Amino acid sequence: MGFDWAVIQDNLPLLMRGLWNSVQLAAITVALSFPLGCVVALGRISPRPWLRYPATILVHALRSNPLILIVFWFFFLVPILTGRPVGDFASVLAAFVVFFSAYFAEIVRSGIQSVRRGQLDAALSTGLTYAQAMHRIVLPQALRSMMPSLATECVIVFQGTTIAYVVGMREFLHTTFLVTERTMRPVELYLFAALVYFVVCLAGSLFARRLEGKAGRAR
Amino acid sequence: MNEPLVSIQNLGLRYGSFRALEDVSADFRRGTCVVICGPSGSGKSSLLRCINRLEEFQDGDVVFDGASLRACQDLPRLRSEIGMVFQHFELYPHLSILDNVTLAPRIAKGRSRRAAEETARRLLDRVGIGDQAGKFPGELSGGQQQRAAIARALALEPKLMLFDEPTSALDPEMIAEVLRVMRDLARNGMTMLVVTHEMAFAREVADEIVFMDKGRIVERAETARFFSAPAAPRAREFLDRILHRL
Repeated sequence: MGFDWAVIQDNLPLLMRGLWNSVQLAAITVALSFPLGCVVALGRISPRPWLRYPATILVHALRSNPLILIVFWFFFLVPILTGRPVGDFASVLAAFVVFFSAYFAEIVRSGIQSVRRGQLDAALSTGLTYAQAMHRIVLPQALRSMMPSLATECVIVFQGTTIAYVVGMREFLHTTFLVTERTMRPVELYLFAALVYFVVCLAGSLFARRLEGKAGRAR
Repeated sequence: MNEPLVSIQNLGLRYGSFRALEDVSADFRRGTCVVICGPSGSGKSSLLRCINRLEEFQDGDVVFDGASLRACQDLPRLRSEIGMVFQHFELYPHLSILDNVTLAPRIAKGRSRRAAEETARRLLDRVGIGDQAGKFPGELSGGQQQRAAIARALALEPKLMLFDEPTSALDPEMIAEVLRVMRDLARNGMTMLVVTHEMAFAREVADEIVFMDKGRIVERAETARFFSAPAAPRAREFLDRILHRL
């Protein structure tokens, strides 16, 4: 059998719209769940039990559930809470942000704990508040040590966007699937999809490595 | 000025069931340099760390410059009046030496960058590393790092300096340069509490020696008397061991 690569060119605008949805979902998820993860991580290491326990329970609850379940949850739960349909993108985004914030929280926590305790002591001893010491001294160093795990997690988020198809969102893989239904050219299209995922993730890791190099030089 | 700068009153500190400090009381006058010595695990560092409440003690109190630490509502302000130097320097590796020194004055005390940098450069000159201001901590030798850490503590114009084994992590040839800076500070009237095993430094610079063992102060004496005739048998034993090693 021969390949018919024209099918990709013919459907390129549609496929790219799907890819754009995936990229958007991944980017906004990372942009929101990373800061949220930082907050949860600070709760996880807080000496105050009323902060530590809820944060710990939240992280464990989210990490012991599959993403697809959380997506379902939000898809059916958010409209009940808000009283009106919110659209598939918004509900998937909410699910992703909550789900991945738990994973980012664990990365941030281990990053913070990799910074020597003496650094916090030194910062506190000069009269910085706990928040200032975290922001100026501990987090910048933690960020450097967690860069590789963060990059990996971003790739996982991007690959995770494929889950959004379960509630009908037109992300990249779903779009590709719809095109194969119509054109009966699954081999070409799925090869193309694999190539696209590879390129996007490679670009992501290269970018992360550059950031790492930059942070490393500041030593 | 007769009231002590630091007054430690029946201080008790526990880690779980381990008693790190038990019923420790001591006053430290302004302008004096006191060396705290004793075997490891005797509570020397814990005592220092209680004085700026890096350790939360359970019993007793510390009164610093007339203010109770137990009742203190503004710990950052209180801590900014007490400089601390650590065994492992604890310079911030992601900041230049200059930024290490200017950070707290700018953030905690609201100084302008210019004023803070002026002070920092003067202090770095004073500790003999004025030419290293633009470098990162990792590019300096241990001795230079510790001197930078002393400059960082001095930048807050503290009333008291705490030294927690400042030379224990240094190669022998770098110890002298750090001790020289400390001696210079003491001669200029800084109130200093120094935990150290450097008995030569203690003998030369300290006004008084405090000897601790098992979380208590066992002996406190003027330097000359401590070295000639320590009263407590445990202090004598300790001195014998540490002096004859040399």
